[in-house]
Amino acid sequence: MEAGTLGPGQERTMGERFAHALNRFSEAPYVVKAGIGIFLLDLVLVLADRRPDSVGEWVLLLAIFAATVAAMVPLERRPAATAAVVLANVVAILILYHGLHEVSQRGINGLSLGAIYALGAVGLTLVYGILKLVNFAHGDFLTFGAYMAYLVNVTWELPLVFGLAFAVLTTALLGIGLEKVMWGPMRGRGAGMLQLLLMAIGLAFVIRYGIQFVWGTELRQLNVNRTDTVNFLDLRVGRTQLIVIIVGFVTLIATGLMLRMTLLGKRMRALSDDLDLAETSGIDTSRVILYTWLFAAGLAGLAGVFAGAITQLQPELGFELLLPIFAAVVLGGIGNAFGALTAGIVLGVVIEWSTLIVAPGLKLAVGFVILIIVLIIRPEGIFGHARTV
Amino acid sequence: MTDPLAIFPLGLTFEAFTDIDFWTSVGIFAGIYTIFALGLQLNVGFTGIQNFGQAGFMAIGAYSMAILTAEEGMNFWLSLPISILITIAFGLIVGLPSLRLRADYFAIATIAFAEAIRLIALNARDLTNGAQGIFGFDDSWDSISESIEDFIIDLGWTDVPGLFPLFLVTWGIAVLMMFSLTRVQGTPWGRVLRAVREDEDAARALGKNAFSYKLQSLAIAASIGAVAGWLLAIQLAFVVPDEFQPIVTFIGYVVLVLGGLANYWGVAVGAIILWTVLEGLRFLELPISETKIAALRFIIVGLVLIGLMAFRPQGVFGKREEMVLGD
Amino acid sequence: MTEAPIFEAEGIEKSFGGIRAVNGATMDVKRGSITALIGPNGAGKTTFFNLITGFYRPDRGRARFDGREVQGRPPYVIARFGMVRTFQITKALAAMPVIDNMMLAAPDQPGESLRNVLFRPLAWRKREQEVHEQAIELLDVFNLTRLADHYAGTLSGGQRKLLELARALMAQPRFLLLDEPMAGINPTLGRRLLDHMQRLRAEDGVTFLFIEHDMEVVMNHSDRVIVMAEGRVIAEGEPQAVRSDRAVIDAYLGGAGHGGIE
Repeated sequence: MEAGTLGPGQERTMGERFAHALNRFSEAPYVVKAGIGIFLLDLVLVLADRRPDSVGEWVLLLAIFAATVAAMVPLERRPAATAAVVLANVVAILILYHGLHEVSQRGINGLSLGAIYALGAVGLTLVYGILKLVNFAHGDFLTFGAYMAYLVNVTWELPLVFGLAFAVLTTALLGIGLEKVMWGPMRGRGAGMLQLLLMAIGLAFVIRYGIQFVWGTELRQLNVNRTDTVNFLDLRVGRTQLIVIIVGFVTLIATGLMLRMTLLGKRMRALSDDLDLAETSGIDTSRVILYTWLFAAGLAGLAGVFAGAITQLQPELGFELLLPIFAAVVLGGIGNAFGALTAGIVLGVVIEWSTLIVAPGLKLAVGFVILIIVLIIRPEGIFGHARTV
Repeated sequence: MTDPLAIFPLGLTFEAFTDIDFWTSVGIFAGIYTIFALGLQLNVGFTGIQNFGQAGFMAIGAYSMAILTAEEGMNFWLSLPISILITIAFGLIVGLPSLRLRADYFAIATIAFAEAIRLIALNARDLTNGAQGIFGFDDSWDSISESIEDFIIDLGWTDVPGLFPLFLVTWGIAVLMMFSLTRVQGTPWGRVLRAVREDEDAARALGKNAFSYKLQSLAIAASIGAVAGWLLAIQLAFVVPDEFQPIVTFIGYVVLVLGGLANYWGVAVGAIILWTVLEGLRFLELPISETKIAALRFIIVGLVLIGLMAFRPQGVFGKREEMVLGD
Repeated sequence: MTEAPIFEAEGIEKSFGGIRAVNGATMDVKRGSITALIGPNGAGKTTFFNLITGFYRPDRGRARFDGREVQGRPPYVIARFGMVRTFQITKALAAMPVIDNMMLAAPDQPGESLRNVLFRPLAWRKREQEVHEQAIELLDVFNLTRLADHYAGTLSGGQRKLLELARALMAQPRFLLLDEPMAGINPTLGRRLLDHMQRLRAEDGVTFLFIEHDMEVVMNHSDRVIVMAEGRVIAEGEPQAVRSDRAVIDAYLGGAGHGGIE
């Protein structure tokens, strides 16, 4: 470690040399980078799992590898397509090793998790893009929703549908209320990014431990069917899980349509792109911001109920989901609702697939490693458009 | 684990309020968090990099010391500098690719790193013994601790609390660090760090390798985190993954903003205030259960953080002119 | 007397998302000259500055400063070569005192290395003393001495502009690139600044390249003018000659739609 006082032409430090080498690499032709990257990925996958034990397997592996690289060539500067090809490559290898059935079964398990991530990520990304707020309290919105459903469903002994509606409603109100008393006034004062971020952490504490204050730390369960399963094509899926997947996807599609078709959705996306620009173009920003909170918090409440339904309730339920949700937001490109939606589902599935290779306890770590790698290679996300400097 | 700060059995009676053993222990935790947050101060307050992975560096410091001593049979004193080197290496590995990122991406990347480290510690059972954790690395410390105790007894204070030597060492290290960091901050090196905090491009246009300085800052903060990790390990007498949750970093930020940004001595003030208030709350005779009191402590921490950010973003002792949050 | 130019750029190109901001700019800057870089808005002048000082990486092209290749090098290396720039929007280090802003810029301060700070704590004190004196001298020139201990963030816009220039001079440049140095400062101070440029050139042989929109300043205070339009250099020469150049007049009329050179 050497500070920058050396004169010109003198030796560079290790760090600088390494950084220089990284820069060199980043300028290499695309196919070379893609080839090296996929090769390393395959190597890791194969070594982490087991070695190919027949010539046939080797040939298949090499064919998959070659096909992937070949498919990448025409896809330069289309990161979403690139990601899809890489993903297809990974799936092909997994199927080769573990069979179609196992891969599909885990994929289905991943869909419910993915739906939860996606529901959380859509709101988080809109808030992030529109309000420049890195909302560390978003996970605790999920927890809040789950406990609201618990209140209706278990304490008041009403059907879960009412609990779900109540959760969505109250979480949405929580979001709007906080905008009115906290975020709006803070924006008015021109608060900085870290200032708002730390405030969000403080808020997260208040919500999480407020829930702990009322309900304690013990695990609680919503009144759902945990035993029935649905079988089709030799695959098994829990009844509750299936409901989560179906309702989750319907909601996600509806959200997508709302963002694409309605005036409000278009305005949200415009604001998420550039708040100042949208303001000068005459959009009533404060109204759109309120609707954004309504959606973001409402979807978070829904995601929280889902998470509670397929697992158990405890005060850290949402916080434990927050980082993967953040990963989906970054992978999708901050502010990009469609990106977050897609990335959330894909991430849920990929995380489940990773349990084919690594210990289940490490599946979230796999998600974080993917996040870090994508951040390094393409900080603007897979679905984000590169901004000019 | 829902209360990572629950360092004592709940249900202490009011007698403990005047118990010197109890407050010695609180003092050690305040000292550990002071050291922990000094690294954050260097990063956030003086370099403008938002390191949210400090708990991860703390974990690496604690684990490498414990693994080297308890499992590899290395001499305890040798394991300390080596664990520092390992942590610095991780600091560089994390920093090299991620310090080029925008501030918010860097924050998310570092918190993801810290969580990945914790999950690996939880699952790599061969190395870390998983959730059971590692014990038996502190024999050398115990003998040192006893000699310090004997020395104090010789001075005439006979009922020395068992943890008092650790208290002395922790605060000795903390004060030494505050003193040296303040000194180093006043050098031209520190001036470049502040310039990088203010405007990286301006610093680069004046011939300063901003990236190298950020990397140095992160590596030093990581090694400071490692020291906090050792002390935590010694205090608890074990190392488990649960001690390194992201909330530890968040609490570090609370200490940081309580004490004020861009001020090393303020960190100690922040840590002392936070721990006195947190532990003092135990003695409020409230007619509620202990879980509720534990929850209440964090609600208060959260409210303090919100209030500070809303009304005094430079912290209690920070200078408004050197405020690095609001803009 | 034909001396090698201090700076040469050849075919510099840069695109952003399909738009060519700089499209094959080629130019020489004579050693010891005060050269103005002019052109209509959007001509790529500031982008060109960013490209040759390492803030952007050119897609194509070469740039040499005093015999050394600079394209693709990081900004801090280029600055240490003695090619120092200022910014169009001032970058005062707001939460640092004015004097620290100045002293920061001084080159060859061993105390900026952590190793020296830790192991040779006395090595840098003498240099710090020299730097402090230089800083005070320069602040004097720009009438900023009384503000030395104020935080830079409390300065007015014009004062910041002066501070940034003084700070750039602290870096002991041999080639100074100024992006609209006169914008936002009052005419009296502007004249002082121009006088100072003349003196630095005469006494220390500093070369200047500055982007400027005020034609009176360009005509009276530069000895060469380079004109850019649509990402290329379309003319260069003595101020008087450039003023009557057909291509230049067309560029201004075509590019800006009004005004032009008068």
